[in-house]
This record gives sequence, C-alpha cells and structure tokens, in this order.
Amino acid sequence: MNAFLLAAGPLGVGLPLDASKEGWRIDEMINVTSLFVLLIFAIMIVWMAWSIFGHGPKHEAVHDHGERRSSWLWTVAVAGLIFVVVDGDLLVRTLVAVNRIYWNFDWAEQQPNAVRVEINAHQWAWAVRYAGPDGVFNTADDVVTLNEVVLPKDAPALFQVASTDVLHSFNVPNMRMKVDAVPGTINRMWFTPALVGDYEIGCAQHCGANHYKMQGMVHVVEPAEFRQWLAAASANSRQGFDPQDGAAHWGWDWAEHTRAR
Amino acid sequence: MTAPGVLLYRPPHARDEATARVGMLLFLGSWAMMFAGLFFALGVVRWRSPMWPPEEVGPLPVGWAALNTVLLVGSSLLLEMALRSVRSGRLGRMTAALGAALAVGVAFVASQVGLFVRMADLGLRWDAGAFGGAVFGLCGFHALHAAVGLVGLAAVLLAAGRGALQPGRHLRLRLWTQYWHFVGVVWLILFPAVFAGGRGG
Amino acid sequence: MIAEEHLDREALELAEALQPIHHPPHSFFRKYLWSLDHKVIAKQYLWSGLIFLLVGGTLAMVIRWQWAFPGRAVPVLGPVFFRDSGGAVGPAQYMQVFTMHGLIMIFFAITPILIGAFGNYCIPLLIGARDMAFPWLNALSYWVFALSLCLVIGSFLGELGAAGAGWTTYPPLSTNVGTPGSGQTLMVAAVFVTGVSSIMGGINYVTTVIRLRAPGMTYFRMPLTVWGLFLTAVLNVLFVPVLGSAALLLLLDRTLGTQFYLAGAATQGGGDPILFQHLFWIFGHPEVYILILPAWGIVGDLLAYFSRKPANWYRGSVLSMVAVTVLSAVVYGHHMFMTGINPLLGQGFMVLTLIISIPAELLFLNWLRTIWKGSMRLTTPMLFALGMVFVFGLGGLTGLYLGAVAPDFYLHDTMFVVGHFHFTMAAASFLASFAGLYFWFPKMFGRSMSEPLGKTHFWVTVVGITLVFGGQLLAGYSGQHRRLYDPFVYQYLQPLRALNRYTSYAAFILFLGQLAFIWNFFHSLVRGPKAEANPWQVGTLEWSIPSPPPMHNFDHLPVVRRGPHELSSPEVRARLGRDWIGQAEVLPDAHDVPKTAPARG
Repeated sequence: MNAFLLAAGPLGVGLPLDASKEGWRIDEMINVTSLFVLLIFAIMIVWMAWSIFGHGPKHEAVHDHGERRSSWLWTVAVAGLIFVVVDGDLLVRTLVAVNRIYWNFDWAEQQPNAVRVEINAHQWAWAVRYAGPDGVFNTADDVVTLNEVVLPKDAPALFQVASTDVLHSFNVPNMRMKVDAVPGTINRMWFTPALVGDYEIGCAQHCGANHYKMQGMVHVVEPAEFRQWLAAASANSRQGFDPQDGAAHWGWDWAEHTRAR
Repeated sequence: MTAPGVLLYRPPHARDEATARVGMLLFLGSWAMMFAGLFFALGVVRWRSPMWPPEEVGPLPVGWAALNTVLLVGSSLLLEMALRSVRSGRLGRMTAALGAALAVGVAFVASQVGLFVRMADLGLRWDAGAFGGAVFGLCGFHALHAAVGLVGLAAVLLAAGRGALQPGRHLRLRLWTQYWHFVGVVWLILFPAVFAGGRGG
Repeated sequence: MIAEEHLDREALELAEALQPIHHPPHSFFRKYLWSLDHKVIAKQYLWSGLIFLLVGGTLAMVIRWQWAFPGRAVPVLGPVFFRDSGGAVGPAQYMQVFTMHGLIMIFFAITPILIGAFGNYCIPLLIGARDMAFPWLNALSYWVFALSLCLVIGSFLGELGAAGAGWTTYPPLSTNVGTPGSGQTLMVAAVFVTGVSSIMGGINYVTTVIRLRAPGMTYFRMPLTVWGLFLTAVLNVLFVPVLGSAALLLLLDRTLGTQFYLAGAATQGGGDPILFQHLFWIFGHPEVYILILPAWGIVGDLLAYFSRKPANWYRGSVLSMVAVTVLSAVVYGHHMFMTGINPLLGQGFMVLTLIISIPAELLFLNWLRTIWKGSMRLTTPMLFALGMVFVFGLGGLTGLYLGAVAPDFYLHDTMFVVGHFHFTMAAASFLASFAGLYFWFPKMFGRSMSEPLGKTHFWVTVVGITLVFGGQLLAGYSGQHRRLYDPFVYQYLQPLRALNRYTSYAAFILFLGQLAFIWNFFHSLVRGPKAEANPWQVGTLEWSIPSPPPMHNFDHLPVVRRGPHELSSPEVRARLGRDWIGQAEVLPDAHDVPKTAPARG
C-alpha cells in the first residue's frame, strides 16, 4: 500500500505523505526556503556564466580593490538582505512553530483525548507501553507491544522515549517528528495523527549492526477502533500479568517527566 | 617585522626568545583548552549529581587538598623569586630559589598521590559512577602535568648549576616558570570545582 | 626616499639575523626522512594524504555499491575483504566501512593535504620567510602524524573488526559496551594522536605568521591563502584539545572502566552520553571551519590572479574569515537539536547558526565581485577555483534548512545532512586542494602539469560531484536516513532504488575520473616540461624565486611594498608594460622608465 508517498516525483523524489496535523509547517518552511534557494542559486549561475563568458581574456580587467565605501556597502547590503529575508523567514517561522507546537508539551498534555505512550528503545527494537484504563504506567493493565504503535485519529499522541543501551532515535517520517532516545534520560515528542493508515517508524541514530532493521509501524485508526483495541489488549495483559517478572515492568512514572528541563 | 618609524634595537637572540614565548603561549593555550574540556565534563557530572560529593563517598579531605594548594602556590612564588634574582644578576640566590621551588613541587606531587590514596580509602572509585572517574581523571591528569613540569625544572636547575643561566639569557627558566604557573592556575580552578561547596542538593 | 631605504636595510638585517641560511643536509636520512625543511615536510604530508584519500574514496565506493546493489558481492574487493559473507558487505562490516570512510577522509586525507601540505609549503614562502618558526617541531609533527597512521592501519586488524560507531563516535555505542574490541580503541587513539600532530602544526603556523613575516609584509598584505591557513591554525590550537579531552575520557571508559559516558539500565552506568556530544561538537563545529578556511583563502587568491584584478574588498574577506573563526564555537548545538536539550538553548544555537551565515555570504559575494569585470583566464587552477565557488554556494545554501530547528525535525540524520556536508566540506575542500595542487605544482616540483588532462579531470570531477552529492540531497529530502545498510527495508524508501543506483553510477565515474589526476600528477613529476619561475605571472613572493626553490627559499629576504593582488594596475602597465607586479618589486619612477621598454605579459 502506497500510503507513504505524496505524488512522488521522478525517481521517487518527494516528501513522504504528511499524515499529521502539525507537519504542514515543516513542509512549508522547507518549500519556501527552497524557492529562495533556487532563486539565489540561479542568480549565482547567471553571474558566474556572465563573468566567465562576458569578461574573458579579451575583456580588459578593471583595477578595483572594492575598498571604497560605496562599493562594500553594496556587498553588505546584499548579504543583509538575504539574511533578513531568507534567514529571517526561517527564524520567525521556526520560533513560532517550535514554541507554539512542537516543543509545547504543556498544551498537548492538557488535551482531554491525549494518548500517552512510553517507548523503550533497545538494540534493535521498540518496546511500546500504554497505561491502560487505570491511566497509570507500570501496572497490571498496561498494554505492551513490540514495534507496533496504535493511535486514534485526531488525538494528540504524546511520547516519552527512553533507551536501555545505546543512543537511538524514534522517528516517524510521515508525522515529520523524531526525538533521540538517550540512555539515562527521558525525551519527549508529540504529534496529532490526521489520516488513517500505516506509517513506518525508523531509527534515526546509528545504533549498531542492525540499525537499519530497527523498524516499527504506527497504525492510525478511528477512535472507536482504538478504544476497542486498547480494551481488548488491556484485558489480555491483566490475564498475563506476572508480578515477579521485573524485566517486563520497564515503565516509569509519566508525570515525573512532564516538567520542563 | 615591518619597518615603522622607529626601530628599537634588540639583539638577535632576543628576537628568537620572542618567537619562543609566542610558541609557549600557544602551547599553554592548547593545554588550557584541553583542561577546559575536562572541566566542562566535571561541571556536567557535578550539575547532574543530586548530592556532592555523592552519598557513597562521604566528605572529601578538603583540608589536605588545601595544604597541597599552599605548596603549589608556594613553589610558584619561589620560581618568581628565582626569575627576579637572575634578572638582577644574583645567580646564587636564583639557584637556591629554583632548588627550593623544585623541592616544594616534588612535595606537592607526593602529597597529591597521598591525597588520592586517602580518597580511594574513603570509597572513591574511578570505575563506579562518573564522579570518581571525574575526580581521579582530572586530578590525575593535572598531577601528570605537574610531574612533567618537575622534570623540566630539574633540567633548568642542572643548567643553572652549569652556569648557563645569565641575566639576559635565561629563556628556559622563563618558559618553565610560565609552564609551572599554568599548572598552578589549573589547580586553583580544580580545587574549588572538586573540593569546595557541596553536601546537599 | 633615503630614510625609507635606511629603514628597509635595518629591518632586512634584523630579519636576516633571525633566519640565517644553513647548509643543506647530505644524508638520505636528513634529506628525506627527518628533514627540517618545511617544503620536504609538506611533501611528506602530501603523499600520506593522497594515499589515504584513495583509501577513503574506495570505502565510499563500497558504500555506493551496497546502495546500488544491496547484498551483491563487491567486485575486486569482495573476495579479499568480505570473504566471510560471500564477497558482499554484511551489516557489521558496513558500519565499519562508513565509519572509516568518514574518519579517514577528515583526519587522514583533507587535513594532511589542505593543512599539512599547503600549510607547510605555502606559509613560509608566501610571507617571505626561510622556514617555519620551529623546524624541529615541524618534523616531529609529521612523524607523530605517521604514528597515527600506523594506529589507523592497526585498527583494521583486530578480531572484532575496525571501528564501527560512525565517524562521530557517539557513546554508548562507541564504548566497549557498544563496540568492544581493539579496532574502536585504536581508532580513538589514532584520532587523539593525529590531534597532537595538528596542535603542534598549529602552534608552528601561528607563531611563524606572527613572528617571521618579511619586512613590509603587514597582516593586510598577506595573501588570503595565508590568512586561511593562519585562522585554521588558531582553531586547531584552541579546539583540537577539546576533542582530545572527549577522546581521552572515551579511552578511559574503554580501558580503565570509568563511566563518563555510560548510562542506562543495561549498562548500569552513572555517566552522560550527551556529555560526549557537547565536547565533540565544541570541537566538531570549529573543525568544519578548520577544513574550509584554507580552501576559502586559496580560492580568494586564485580568483583574483586569474581574473587579473585585485580580490574584491580584501579587508572584508579577512574580517569575514575572522568573524567565522570567532563564532565557530558558539554554534555547535545545531548538531544536537534532537537530543532533548533545553529549548531555549536550542533556539539560541539556531539564532547564532543563522548569524554565522552572514560572514560566509560576504565572502561569497566578494568572490563573485572579484570575477566580475575581470579578464578571466580559464586555467586548470581557475576552473577548480570556480568549481569550488559553485559547490560551496550550493552546499552553503542547503545549510539554511538544517540550521533552523523545525525543518531539522524532519531532516536530521537524513541523507540531506550528508549531501550538505559533502558539498561544503568534501567537495569544496577537495576542489580547492586540487586548485592549489595544479597551481603550486610548478613551484613545488619545477615541472608543469598537462593542461588538457587537468581540464578533463576538472569536468569529470565537478559534474560527478554535483550528481553524487546532489543525489544525496534528493534522497535525504525524500526521507532516506543515514547509515542504513539496506535503506529499502523501509517501504517508503522503495521508490528511491533508481535514484540510488544512478547516484552510484555517477560516483563510480567520479572515482575513475581521478585517474586523470593520478596519471597527470605522477607523469608530470618525472616527465613534465620544466617550469619557469613565474608561469602564472602573479606577484606573490613564492613566484619571485626559482622553481623549485633552494632549501633556504630566498637568497635575500624580500622587502614587501604592496599587497598580493596588484593586478592590472594602470601605473604598472605604464611603467613596466605588464599587468602584474611582484609584492617586493621596486616600481621605477615614471621618469626612470626608458621610452623603449619592451611590452610583456
């Protein structure tokens, strides 16, 4: 199923499908910057071509050091213009995007329908944990999967990501989001799925020989289907719960890691 | 090396010395940056640690470390005295001050080793937790630098004994004194960073 | 004018006293192995760098082979190196291949060529000195470097294979928990040792520029090449030691069981892996400027020489290079946006990163204005210099996306990053290195290289580079991540098979195209036509002495009277009948010029 690709261009080049509510800002930033970049690049090519073909060996060189103020002010002005327009655009958009959305965990935490998922990365798979109906992690009704993240459409999905061994990075390209999994720390990320479908999880930090196979899948389903799945899975967990199995209780207290750094 | 309005005459070897001093400054600059990196590491370890020194270690021998600080500062002062003596031509005094500086320097390094043994007895281990590693690593690395400095100062002392150091010609004393001051300054930062404050969140 | 001549003579006498002419050595040992002559040491670095450039390039071909034909046996190298996996690269070896490719190219190819070879060769000659400030330290710095090469070779030989944690060597993967074995340890040691060599070299270069400039060679009359090398040396002295501290702590973790970087449940460590990233990138970001500043300098000069006009706003270029040098350490956090750093810190690094693009833009604009309204001569060095401008422009622009946090959420760790640094760091540095090699070859070896072969080499290289690294940018934009043994395990990357294959074809052609250089270089070395003292007709000091220069460089130290880019000056044309004048040349007064002065140039 090719839900992954947005009308892929020639040679498969193109941004993957954006299945999130917030990812469009990133795509817009990339695309607007690309327009500026292509324009600047085109000007550069034309300038160089003119200098090479128009001011070749038959042209008499102008003995100008460019040290007069009128001359270098022009240079500074152009550099300033590029900075203000291109860099400025990126800067403003990013500051808004990062503070209002991507690193604004407080807002996401306050949403009543937010789904919380703990991810414990290890070589070479993703252990996934949901709190279950009691809303508390590391209890008997927790739903634990390997490499499978099920999420309801239109509800913010919050992730706390840890690692047991080396650095990993939890990455969902179709949601435009990633965050590093650092042993000894817990990092956070969130996004809101907008389209039903299956989206790949990949590891975005070299973690050993099987780094390339550290795949997972995000299944975005309708909210009703999600509730059904969670209830059934949670019931199964309760049945199979073994209080003696320390290794299986890798979850942690969610609230402890919601304070800002 | 340009030809401005007035040129001050300096003998050729003085210009050589200026070159050597620039080189020494850069050399010390690079070691300073290496220690800066290690201090950064120590800083991160200390900042992340809920208690300093960590629970399992107990209070560090601050008094002993303070005594070593006095020794090191003392040896630097003695070296300055040696420099001043050679500049004013009192070669005998220079040799005495140099010898004393060396002796005090040796005492410092020996006392540092004793300090390390004491800390190990108190439970500090370099292979358990970042704290032990940071303390032993930084202090040990510093002690190594001090040891190298001692070798250099010993060579200068031998040269002094041969009569090779003169009022206008004592570059090696000057350079090793700079090196030794550097070792002292690093310790003056290291001492409070490791031993001062702490005990409590 | 009598006063000026008197001052010139005094300054000269003092300079000559500081740099006496020594007898050249006679033994093979003193002439070729332990030479104190900066020109010989430069060549030692050059041969070492070229050999390891070949090794690093070969490793790149293995990566491209694997992405073009995943799992297929590698030709030629497969039966020798990958016997256990039937000639194809396996996942464990693959990570060693990309790790060693990065480490070798950065520390053992570009560094010795651009900084070791050009730094050593050019600095004394271009500032009018007879040698470096500390010739003995110079020789030592090469042999310390050679020791690091032995450690690199040794690291390939361990039972558990070579280093495999990426060139960035992040712990915990790079600790003995993540990557046990002597391969990784020896490689970290090799980086430490080559760092020591770089610091020694840096101390030498900085001291030499400060102390041994010829009379009249003010800082603002130095060629931009010297400025680039000087600023690089300053960064080397200040920031390689920080890498040293990061590497030292890692070595302690690996050998003595300390726990600076180990953390997490599985390892029970009390350390912080992110500490390494801070230390590494405080070095790592200045390092990318270390690798590009000499290239900027060389290109700044060559564009002027071969446009036959002065470099535009020389002061502005110098100030820009200085500004980049000063700012280089405070932008390092842009490599760590995804590690969970404090958001304020992250945004601060973003602002600084965007700001550091301003001096780079100024420099770039100066290049464009230098070639404008010139009288361009498309010699091989000039072609490579123009090529460098092209790739650096492209690469620099792609940095914009990565300096801002939000696009980085998507682009971090993708091939877009790889494309960006290959354009700015690899392509630009190597094109500038080739420009420098073609330019200074006549001076270094007293012979000329073939222009047609040089131009062929240029076209294959620049087109190949654009296709290969452009392919990387496109793949990364489409979501392909770095360091994947088999990217097509992911469904969403399946459509990129063709792009990867074509990129690989371009890479193989790029690699083969270097044969033009290898043949040209070595053939000209022994059979090239003899070169004159000043084949390019430019005014910097190295062209005022024979090709190759005698060991003591200058029979008489020059007195510098003007900057390095006095080209197409109407006054010079009128009095000397040519479009260039030497930096130390005396310009005869108007009434001294005989009416029948022959036209030259």
